[in-house]
Amino acid sequence: MKPILEVKGLTRIHGTECPSCLDMTGPEHDTNVCPACGSVVAAANVSFSLQPGEILGIMGESGSGKSTVVKTLYFDQAPSRGSAIFRDGDQNHELFNLNGAEQRWLRNHRFGMVYQNPNLGLNFGISAGGNIAERLLMNDLNHYGDIRRRAGELLTRTDVMVSRMDESPKQFSGGMQQRVQIAKALATRPPLLYLDEVTTGLDLSVQARILDLILEIQHELGTAMIVVTHDLGVIRLLASRTLVMKYGRVIESGLTDQILEDPQQAYTQQLVASTL
Amino acid sequence: MNPNYQLTDSQDSYGFGFLDEFAKREIRRVILKAISIPGYQTPYASREMPMGRGFGTGGLQLTLSMIGPEDTLKVIDQGSDDSVNAVNLRKFAELTCPDVSTTESTTEATLIQTRHRVPEIALREDQVLNLQVPYPDPLVIVEPSEAKRKIMHGEGDYARLLTKLYEDLVKFDEITISHRYPTRINGHYVIDPSPIPRYDVPKLHQSQALLLFGAGREKKIYAVPPYTNAEPLVFDDVPFRTENFYNADGKRRACNRCGSTNSFLDELNLEDGSKAWQCSDTDFCNRQLARTDAGEVTQ
Ligand SMILES: Nc1ncnc2c1ncn2[C@@H]1O[C@H](COP(=O)(O)OP(=O)(O)OP(=O)(O)O)[C@@H](O)[C@H]1O
Ligand SMILES: [Mg+2]
Ligand SMILES: [Zn+2]
Ligand SMILES: [Zn+2]
Repeated sequence: MKPILEVKGLTRIHGTECPSCLDMTGPEHDTNVCPACGSVVAAANVSFSLQPGEILGIMGESGSGKSTVVKTLYFDQAPSRGSAIFRDGDQNHELFNLNGAEQRWLRNHRFGMVYQNPNLGLNFGISAGGNIAERLLMNDLNHYGDIRRRAGELLTRTDVMVSRMDESPKQFSGGMQQRVQIAKALATRPPLLYLDEVTTGLDLSVQARILDLILEIQHELGTAMIVVTHDLGVIRLLASRTLVMKYGRVIESGLTDQILEDPQQAYTQQLVASTL
Repeated sequence: MNPNYQLTDSQDSYGFGFLDEFAKREIRRVILKAISIPGYQTPYASREMPMGRGFGTGGLQLTLSMIGPEDTLKVIDQGSDDSVNAVNLRKFAELTCPDVSTTESTTEATLIQTRHRVPEIALREDQVLNLQVPYPDPLVIVEPSEAKRKIMHGEGDYARLLTKLYEDLVKFDEITISHRYPTRINGHYVIDPSPIPRYDVPKLHQSQALLLFGAGREKKIYAVPPYTNAEPLVFDDVPFRTENFYNADGKRRACNRCGSTNSFLDELNLEDGSKAWQCSDTDFCNRQLARTDAGEVTQ
């Protein structure tokens, strides 16, 4: 099977950038800040592929560049260089060569994103149902009754009581807000979903239910996902393959089981050891 | 407008129509562009006028840039020719456009400048309606950044505006927008049709007359050209509704002056505390009254 997503050399540098940026940063230099020009190398030469229906984990310490990778793929920010091909049926989209309108179309129709901070993914000024309605309306569903029905189904699927769909998600618990975000992301049945620290900061029992939900969705809909986390437990449960990042670089990648059982890099060994 | 405003003694210092020829030419060019891209908010260099912005300077600049001595001008405010604003604007046009005749008759006018209403009598191909617009962009309620709004208009992306209507239906079981109802022109751009009531929105659709919208403060001109589609934003299963003026018994109220039951009515509070309803379009009301007086049957 051909990968749904193929990322090559993805690089994102904040700042003026100089010829030394890539040579003088990274794990061997113990920094992601270029000593010559002060630019921050948030991600450098990140390459990977993702199969349809697969869950890929990205883990690493804070600041290692995990969010940068999904944010560029979701067009929240532009990469400094690199390429990413998204295969959708028989269409290949070279993500970073598309114009703004094409990027927004993919974002609204074919990708879903769940942010750690529900503030970024939800509009608290409107109801939970309205948040989902907006995404359905972007997909040219223009029948009020159908929109209500579909929003209700999605909320039911993500275990949010339909009786609360007309309330602002501002009043919801953190776990419920994440469920609304997931319902919204799934509204268009996207083949590709990005999840950035979806369970961080939630109670353990709430975390467990959301992780179960994510697995169920993968089984039901065959959605491919990139799961960003610094929580090894999340990686262990969800991801078949994992990338380990440090200072913007991928320092280890492979089957999750192998990485967790036999980490090759000292850094990964430390991460694994610290949670045993 | 300053009611004491006077043109300078030497009449040469102002040209016909107050605006200088460059200003008029620019506005005419912008009007042509606006007609070519129905519903597109075309930017222009709004000129200072001797009255506050927000008093119809956008509509007035449209009027002054296109008016000629052979034109007959009508100015209305909320349907009335006699309100202070309408009178001031009409006087200003009379002062600055010698030889132009003015009228209160909708059918005699070639050029009509209006605030908040579209006349009841259907307009003709040889007429132009200039609407005064305070806020041209229907997307401001959902997107504060003008740069982002421009992209949304360009891509015909009105999902967030429809979400607003969805929220209305959820909360109130109906769409509560009474004026400035967002309306899609020629299948693409959605406009703010200025503060006309919902009652007037269907009159924009396939209008025989050219409809121009001028926002002086926001420096935008847009157009609904003749015979162009103008469709209020709605859901497939929630039809657009206009004010129906039914009383508690479900009967259509009539104008208490002319007896008409097919015009937009203003609600009046009478001295004895009761309410009465009257046509907001005074020219229409006068015509109906004249017909009744002449012994014609009212509807
Ligand atoms: N706009 C910006 N300007 C400058 N530096 C930035 C900017 N955005 C991110 N960075 C830096 O880029 C690096 C990678 O950030 P990123 O958010 O991808 O890390 P992360 O792995 O997601 O971290 P966390 O686990 O804390 O979310 C960090 O050093 C961060 O400070
Ligand atoms: Mg992050
Ligand atoms: Zn550098
Ligand atoms: Zn009347």
